[in-house]
Amino acid sequence: MKRLSEDTLVDAVVMLLLLIVGILTLYPFYYTIVCSFSDGIDLLKGGVYLWPRKFTLANYHLFLTDADWIHAFLVSVLRTVVGTTCCVSCTALFSYALSRRNLLFRNTYRFMVVFTMYFSGGLIPFYILLKNLGLLNSFGVYIIPAMLNTFFVITGMNFFSSIPESMLESARIDGARELQIFRKIVFPVSKPFIATLSLFVAVGQWNSWLDSAYYVRDRELQTLSYKMMMIINQSISSAANSEVAGQISEANSATNFTIQSTAMVISMLPIMLVYPFLQKYFVQGMMIGAVKE
Amino acid sequence: MHKKCNSIGKQFTRQWELQTVSLLGIGYLVLFSYIPMLGIILAFKSYKISSGIGGIFSSKWVGLKYFQEFVTDYKFCELLRNTLVLSSLKLVLAFPVPILLAILISECKHKVFKRVIQTCSYMPNFISWILVSGIAAVLFSETSGVINQLLVKGGLTSKGIPFLTAPGYFWGMSVFLSIWKSSGWWAIIFLAAISGIDSTLYEAAKVDGAGRLQRIWYITLPGIRSSVVTVLILSIGSFLGGGMVGSNFEQSFLMGNAVNNATSEIIQTYAFKMGMSEGRFSYATAVDFIQSLVSITLVIISNRIAKHFNEEGLF
Repeated sequence: MKRLSEDTLVDAVVMLLLLIVGILTLYPFYYTIVCSFSDGIDLLKGGVYLWPRKFTLANYHLFLTDADWIHAFLVSVLRTVVGTTCCVSCTALFSYALSRRNLLFRNTYRFMVVFTMYFSGGLIPFYILLKNLGLLNSFGVYIIPAMLNTFFVITGMNFFSSIPESMLESARIDGARELQIFRKIVFPVSKPFIATLSLFVAVGQWNSWLDSAYYVRDRELQTLSYKMMMIINQSISSAANSEVAGQISEANSATNFTIQSTAMVISMLPIMLVYPFLQKYFVQGMMIGAVKE
Repeated sequence: MHKKCNSIGKQFTRQWELQTVSLLGIGYLVLFSYIPMLGIILAFKSYKISSGIGGIFSSKWVGLKYFQEFVTDYKFCELLRNTLVLSSLKLVLAFPVPILLAILISECKHKVFKRVIQTCSYMPNFISWILVSGIAAVLFSETSGVINQLLVKGGLTSKGIPFLTAPGYFWGMSVFLSIWKSSGWWAIIFLAAISGIDSTLYEAAKVDGAGRLQRIWYITLPGIRSSVVTVLILSIGSFLGGGMVGSNFEQSFLMGNAVNNATSEIIQTYAFKMGMSEGRFSYATAVDFIQSLVSITLVIISNRIAKHFNEEGLF
C-alpha cells in the first residue's frame, strides 16, 4: 500500500514539474506570436497575456511590404542555402577522407584538425586576414570562412570509420573511383550524420549575426538577424530611457515592439518548420559525437 | 631506405584522391586557422591596420606593453570578476538542470506527454541569442513586459523592475536564459545514457522493495555517472566561454548596455570592442591572447582529470 502511494506521488510530481517545464519553454514563444498579431497601441496599455485583445495583421503587412526587411530576409535565405551546401559537402568529404584507416599521414592531419578546436588566433588576426583576402564587405565572407566545421569533421571521422571497409573495397574492385564511392555508397548510408550536420550548419548560418554586423558595411548585404539585433537594441534602449517603449510609427498603430515580435516570429519560422522532421536524425546524430567507439 | 620511400610514394599515388581532399582541407585550415595564430605576435607589437599584412612583421616590437596596460587598466578587476562570476554561476547552476530534466522525462509514464515535452524542451536551443534577447525584451521589459505587468498587477512591486537594464539583474538573467536555452538539448545526452541502463536492474530493485526515489538514487544516477563526468569535463574545458551553455560572449554582447555595463562587460566583449570599435588592434589581441592561454590550460587540466578518472580523454 505504501509503495503504491509513493508511486502515484512521484508520478504526480513528475507530471507537474514537466508541465511547468513545458509552459516555461513554450509561453515565451507563444507570447511573442501573440504580440506579433496584436495592435501596437492596444498592447502598450497592458493586460494582454494569452491572446491578442485587438487582433490585427498590420504588423505582418508592414513587414512584408517593407523592401528592407524582405531584402534582409532574402540575403539570409541565400547565405543559408549556399553556405549549408558548401559546408556540408566540404566537411563530409574531408572527414570521410580522414576516416580511412590506410590514409598516409592520417594522424598528422587529425592532430592539425583537433588543435584548431582548442586554440585560435583570436578575432583581430582573423579580421586582418579577411581584410587582406578581400573578403570584407562581400557575400563571400558569409560562405568562405565557414566551409569546414571542425567539430563535425571530428564527429564525421568517428561516424565514417564505422562503415565496414569491405563494403568500400568491393566497390573499388569493381573499378569505382573514390569520389564515386563517396557519392554512391557512403553518402546514402550516412543520413543521420548528414542530417545533423546540415541542421547545425543551416541553423548556424541562419542565426549568424556577428559577421553581418562587423565584416559587412554594405546595406545590401545585411541579414535578417542583424536587422533584428538593431531593432531589439533600439527597443531595449528606449525602454532604458524610460520613455514609452514603442515609438509609434505614422499612419498605423504598429510599434517597434510589435514589429520586433513580427520579425522574430518570421525568423523563427523556418527553423520551427524544419526541425520536427529532422528530429529523429539529430538525436541519433548527436550521440555519434558523444559516444566514442 | 630508398625502397621504403618508394613504397610510401606508391601508396600515396594510389590514394591520390583521398590525399587531394585531405590536403585541400588541411590547406584551408592553415589559411583560416593557423595563419591567424601567427597573428598573435601582434600582441607584442605596435600595429596599425593601415600597414596591411606586411605591417604584422615590420611593425615595432613593444614586448609586454599591452599586457601590462590591460592588467593595470582600471576596468581589469571588474572584467575579471564578471567573467569568473558568470562562468562559475553557469557551471554550478546550469550544469545540474539537464540531468534533473532527463530524470524527470525518463520517469514520465505518459508516452505522448513525454514526447511533447521533450520535443519542446530542445526547441530554444535552435534559436539565436538575438532571438533570446528579443524574447527577453518582450517578456521582461520594464514598462511593457508581461512579467512586470503581472508583478505590478499582483501588487508585488509598485512599478516595473528594470530586469534588462539594471546592473543588479544581469547575472541572474544571464544564467536563467542560458538554462532556458540549452537544458533541453543537453538532456538528450543524459536521456540516452539513462536508456542505456539495463532494465533488469530496476526490476530486481523493485522486487527487493526499493521505491521510485531509491531506484533513481541507486540505479539511475550511478548509471549515468560516466556521461555526467564527460559533460562536466567538457564544461570545465570551456569554462571561460560559459561552459556547456557556452554563451558568455553573445549574452554580454547582446544584453549588455551602457546602464548595466558594470556587471555585463567581460574580457571577451572588452577585447572585441577595443579591437573592432576603437581600432586598438594590438591591445585587443593581447587581451584575447590572455583569455586563450587560460582556456587552453583549462582544457589540458580537464583532460588530465578525465584520464585520471579512467574516462576516455578528449584527445
